[in-house]
Amino acid sequence: MEEGNGLSTATLANTGIIQVTKKCKSCDHCTSICPTGAIHGKLGQKHHIDPKLCINCGQCLINCPFGAITDTSMVKEVKKALADPSKYVVVQEAPAVRVALGEEFGMDPGTNVKGKMYASLRKLGFDKVYDTEFAADLTIMEEGTELIHRVFKAVGAPGYESSGPLPQFTSCCPAWIKYAEDHYPAILPNLSSAKSPQQMFGAVAKTYVAEKLGVKPADMVSVSVMPCTAKKYECNRPEMIASGYQDVDYVITTRELADMIKEKGIDFNSLPNEEADRLVGASTGAATIFGVTGGVMEAALRTAYELLSGQSLGKVEFKSVRGQKPIREATVEIPIKDLGTTLPVKVCVVTGTKYVGRVIEDVLAGRSSYHFIEVMNCPGGCINGGGQPIRRDMY
Amino acid sequence: MSIFREKGTFTRRQFFKGSGMLAATIVISGVFAKFGYDAWAASDAYIEKRISGLYTLDEKMAIRKSHQNPEILQIYKDFLSPGEVKPVSEKAHHLLHTKYGQDIPELIKELHAHQHDAA
Repeated sequence: MEEGNGLSTATLANTGIIQVTKKCKSCDHCTSICPTGAIHGKLGQKHHIDPKLCINCGQCLINCPFGAITDTSMVKEVKKALADPSKYVVVQEAPAVRVALGEEFGMDPGTNVKGKMYASLRKLGFDKVYDTEFAADLTIMEEGTELIHRVFKAVGAPGYESSGPLPQFTSCCPAWIKYAEDHYPAILPNLSSAKSPQQMFGAVAKTYVAEKLGVKPADMVSVSVMPCTAKKYECNRPEMIASGYQDVDYVITTRELADMIKEKGIDFNSLPNEEADRLVGASTGAATIFGVTGGVMEAALRTAYELLSGQSLGKVEFKSVRGQKPIREATVEIPIKDLGTTLPVKVCVVTGTKYVGRVIEDVLAGRSSYHFIEVMNCPGGCINGGGQPIRRDMY
Repeated sequence: MSIFREKGTFTRRQFFKGSGMLAATIVISGVFAKFGYDAWAASDAYIEKRISGLYTLDEKMAIRKSHQNPEILQIYKDFLSPGEVKPVSEKAHHLLHTKYGQDIPELIKELHAHQHDAA
């Protein structure tokens, strides 16, 4: 890697992404929230996070009543890249950012500020403003096709012998991936091999986009705005170098973007609504709902149904996978053109890593009849991620 | 403590005092319960609002299925699987797929070898 970004993998292993600061009042609230028991410290002692156990989800950070937990920042590096005329800086933003960024500027939660978000990023000096939603659509193409191959293998269709086992688990959530690697290595063959949208975007940016724009990939800096602290860990994983460079250089959170906008003196509320740049900036409704629990599943079902049946879906909503219950399940009848039969596809949606253990145990023991399981670490999905605006108005 | 002494019924004064204290306790605990419930409800309300924000946005989008995104079709035809739309092509596999856990060191070796081939 020629382009080191100051956050070496060794440093990350020592400090982790999430740290408890001196402001800790030792109230023990965080230990009840942490899904992996990574936070140590007795009542009355300053708490400490074990980076080996921590899955970087940041739920402790957004729920700490004293604001005493913080995350590793790459804002300085992003500003340096923006100020360097020799660098070509591209940016992507996750779906969940656009319905929460407005909260930092006095708007109601859920207000869609997509257009203003693009405008503000241009004002900050990014050379191209693309969208993670493009990569979410790409994820559906790859992950959906992979699922179809696994199903064909399971029903004994010839030509799919090298496909993986069922059920297939989603692989978009970096906190869930680390949890699976740390606690259930036996389940890893069931994880979709498709990268997360953020990393797909990074790999495509420094190859396809660089080629089309005539920019040297070595001069390109790829930044992403995420509702998530675990994405900071993900972009620094040593294997995320498919483009020949670090695929995504820096990750900033929704909160950090809001801080940059305020610091630059941009009047966010009066910005015009702009569009993302073309080439890898177009998105669909399926990509938009990636930010909510059940959304990846619903997006995959919309595409899988149409590709497998060869029929157009009249009603695109799959309301059965929506909701906020930690574990939800549904069965969707999909007519399969190639096999001439109708297959009841059984799906499961898990939100909250605390609850995924028993689903995995069932799969490992052969008791599970699911085909596809979506897992998101944060309750409610990415919209409630560790990088989102903190709502302490409740305390 | 006169109330512990065995002695007929409550006096009129004791009855007023007791019922007054009981009423005050009910009102005060009710207020605190309401306060607590509101705090709990408010802590969840923003999650629900952000969720419906995304579903509303989905409904407003002109295209609502990933495989109909024109730029997705373009990247397959121009780059990932030249001339056709074929997910999990060799190039897509190299750029868009990964490995987990103990398979990672081998994947890193493969990626470095790929760079040498390309160079």
